[in-house]
Amino acid sequence: MLKYTVRRLLAAIPVLIGLSMVLFAFVHLLPGDPCRAILGQHATPEACARLRENLGLDLPLWQQYLSYVGDLLRGDFGSSIINNKPVLTEFASRFPGTVELSIAALLFAVGVGIPLGRLAARHAQGWTDGIVTVISLFGISIPVFVLGLVLVYVFAVQLQWLPTQGRIDARAAADLKIVTNFMLVDTLLAGRLDLFVDAVRHLILPAIALGSIPLAIIARITRAAVLDVSNEDYVRTARAKGLKERRVDDRHVMRNAWLPVITVIGLQVGGLLGGAVLTETVFSWTGVGRWVVDAIGNRDYFVVQGAVMIFALIFLVVNLLVDIGYAYLNPRIRYS
Amino acid sequence: MTTVRPETPGTLLAVRGLLVRFRTHDGLIHAVNGISFELDRGERLGLVGESGCGKSVTNLAIIRLLPKPAGRIEGGSVLFDGEDLVTMPESDIREIRGRDIAMIFQDPMTSLNPVLTVEEQMIETIQAHRTQSKTEARARAVELLGMVGIPQPEKRLRAYPHQFSGGMRQRVMIAMALALEPKLLIADEPTTALDVTIQAQVLELISTLTTGAGTSLILITHDLGVVAGMTDRINVMYAGFIVETATTGELFDRPSHPYTVGLLHSMPRVDELEGEPLIPIEGRPPDMRRAPRGCPFAPRCAWRVESCWGTNPALTSLVEGAPVILTGPAATHQIACHNPPTPDEAELGRPTRAGHTPAPAPEGEIDELASLAAIADGAA
Amino acid sequence: MSSAVNAGVSAVLESRVSHGLWSDAFRRLMRNRPAIVGLVCIVVFVGAAILAPIIAPYGPLEGTLAARLQAPSWQHLMGTDLQGRDVFTRILYGAQISLQVGVISVLMALLMGGFVGALAGGIGGRVDAVLMRATDVLLAIPGILLAIGIIAWLDRGMTQLMLAIAITYSPIFARLLRGSLLALRETDYVIASRSVGASRGRLLLRHMLPNALTPLIVQATLVLATAIIDIAGLGFLGLGPPDPRTPEWGTMLTDARRFLQQAPHLVLFPGAAIVISAIGFNLLGDGLRESLDPKMKR
Repeated sequence: MLKYTVRRLLAAIPVLIGLSMVLFAFVHLLPGDPCRAILGQHATPEACARLRENLGLDLPLWQQYLSYVGDLLRGDFGSSIINNKPVLTEFASRFPGTVELSIAALLFAVGVGIPLGRLAARHAQGWTDGIVTVISLFGISIPVFVLGLVLVYVFAVQLQWLPTQGRIDARAAADLKIVTNFMLVDTLLAGRLDLFVDAVRHLILPAIALGSIPLAIIARITRAAVLDVSNEDYVRTARAKGLKERRVDDRHVMRNAWLPVITVIGLQVGGLLGGAVLTETVFSWTGVGRWVVDAIGNRDYFVVQGAVMIFALIFLVVNLLVDIGYAYLNPRIRYS
Repeated sequence: MTTVRPETPGTLLAVRGLLVRFRTHDGLIHAVNGISFELDRGERLGLVGESGCGKSVTNLAIIRLLPKPAGRIEGGSVLFDGEDLVTMPESDIREIRGRDIAMIFQDPMTSLNPVLTVEEQMIETIQAHRTQSKTEARARAVELLGMVGIPQPEKRLRAYPHQFSGGMRQRVMIAMALALEPKLLIADEPTTALDVTIQAQVLELISTLTTGAGTSLILITHDLGVVAGMTDRINVMYAGFIVETATTGELFDRPSHPYTVGLLHSMPRVDELEGEPLIPIEGRPPDMRRAPRGCPFAPRCAWRVESCWGTNPALTSLVEGAPVILTGPAATHQIACHNPPTPDEAELGRPTRAGHTPAPAPEGEIDELASLAAIADGAA
Repeated sequence: MSSAVNAGVSAVLESRVSHGLWSDAFRRLMRNRPAIVGLVCIVVFVGAAILAPIIAPYGPLEGTLAARLQAPSWQHLMGTDLQGRDVFTRILYGAQISLQVGVISVLMALLMGGFVGALAGGIGGRVDAVLMRATDVLLAIPGILLAIGIIAWLDRGMTQLMLAIAITYSPIFARLLRGSLLALRETDYVIASRSVGASRGRLLLRHMLPNALTPLIVQATLVLATAIIDIAGLGFLGLGPPDPRTPEWGTMLTDARRFLQQAPHLVLFPGAAIVISAIGFNLLGDGLRESLDPKMKR
């Protein structure tokens, strides 16, 4: 098990190196005139000169790269051109918003997706199965932002049941002390149950929109996994031993069906990070996604470079954890 | 069509007119077409036939483990210790599974749950039918593993199935099957997936353990060599029918159904004279999607006569008028054939009586013999 | 007697033998009802794209401010947008864009990814390791962020848009083809061919590639569905075609957001168009997968 973990960690290193090279090229090898691209058309020669010095654009390429990597290792992901604040701090302040949304979406997707998948498998070929299949189809065919807009229209504009802007009612929460920047946590820490409920209400629609695609995929995979496993010989053996159906289901079917499902859940995290960008735009949610999109509009290349790097790192870590988790759960890998 | 007789008192298992069909995308598959047989306590029966003849399906049907929703028992009864397993409620038959009737399957690689230890799988079997504490169950599991010849049983209990070799895994399955001292053990091709050298060991093990405990045995295989040393009686199956049944000795001495004759002649034997040709059974396995019409073996049978195409022969005594005894060493030799081979023809492997040509196929039937003969003709 | 029997026998044997993978697959596909539905959606989508200049009642850029934000009516089947342009017309022309960009990007991804995958799987060893690390780097950047990054780097534009999508999806095809080739290398018939002296190149082209093609085709269809959605997504974020007047479905939704209350039709119709196209390719892809896989279990 330990050997497997170490091997996986080592395998990640070349990827990290490659990633740093790609992102280095993102700023230091911008097509066209970097000065104009980064500072805009009306950049003054002095500003250009300062930029060249900052980036070390006159130095040989490998030196620029090493200096970039050095910065990375020290935690310096560059600074925003707009307000000069370090990318890392800006990212950190907005990140909890994206995480809260992503976790809520994932909980929704898993909490509804797995039972739906099991239900469809249990009644395979029946009409329940048909309904679940249709739900899955729409889940992967409706873009996150379209679903978001539709949800906004139905629940906010027409029914007026749920809010659609931001993470919390700004006026009511004006005096809320921000500790972790996780709304659900901070409201509880401050003892404000009313704000907690408000935060939850703000979370519902975006979480559903963002979680729709993972839900569809998880439901499909769960159904397929349960059906596959149900046809395996060892399930037949379990029944031949006279075990109760419930036990067969839990211990023999699900224990094995979990494995591919968990892999898929891990893979969904990447999609969630990407989808968060779109969802945050629709719901005016303060998170990293929107920030990156705005940065592109502002040509704030350092923000894009830094943010993508951090996203990729997080994604790599999550994949690593999923791989290790899977290896732990699957005795065939654990003991090889 | 077998004639249905009342159950002989004292038999452990009495199958009567069992009909099993599968509904699939491709159509309705007539897997088992009304077979009947009995089994005494302590008796050992072999079910022999090629793939698809219905032998495995019969046994899955006995304990009602047909793959759902496709497989269904559509007729007949299975009396086990006097109770009909076909109509029994699910909760009752679940108790019988594992406790009174145990099954071991063909592929030990896939028949054990890969994510549970051997210990967990054995203990759950024991605890499913007996109220025993984990410690008691574990002790019993150790005892069983030792009984099947697995070294260091306490240590091996905590291993996972993939850490055992094929032969060892099958021993574990045997141990699990015999854990609750069942009355009947059904072994479905237990050695087909194993190396030849291991096969003998596993068969020996099954034989010793079942004889020792007086457990009845149904051994399913396509290999006549396997049943020869292991069984008291043999049922030969083809296309979902029993075509011949006899005591083991009698079957090898006097094979009387063309299919059985064919089987015996297509096996290379050590005691045969050099230069004796191997005579394969001509043609292809039957299409199980068609409802049986006439004798199922007719297309491939060199002994066939006109009536073979139209009427499916019933299972009757080889010796006309002999009383029908269904079990035990005095069991009647029965075959289902309109024109059985004579002992000489059986010895030779093909019909020798003068003037006999296989009756030609009527409209809509494919003659497997002619197609191959024509190809041979064309090539000559 | 021989020849007549021969002819009869061969006719009978022939009817029992399958007609080959493709026609067999086609027949199974035709019996697959969801796949037919998908095919219909795709026909509608492609039809709209091709016939746009003919069926569109107005021009895609034609509109007066006076006619802005009108609800659907007989004159404007899907209403008008912020600039008074007919939405139905723009949806039709939008189909052209989605189809063009989608198909070209996926083809590019197939070629680029397929090439890399063929090299990796066909040659193996060091080459394989290096190429796979490179694809891992691309895959490390999650989903749409990669496309966003590429467009940020290259600036907006039609080619850049296609390139961004193509690069995002190349790793999938590279991995797929490589996997197929690696698996095929170990199959009995390839080993058998090698044992009679077939060269590596010949092996690759004549034996391995044709078999590896089918999963690629299935995947390409499914990827096309996601590509259409991603293109719209990029458009929604303002990263789509550079000319703001272009009738791209996703870009049409950016404005629609602000006027959700007064003009929900601005969201409904472009949204529905995207969904129908995506459903079409998803269903077709699933249908292809089922009919091309000979041992598919339901």
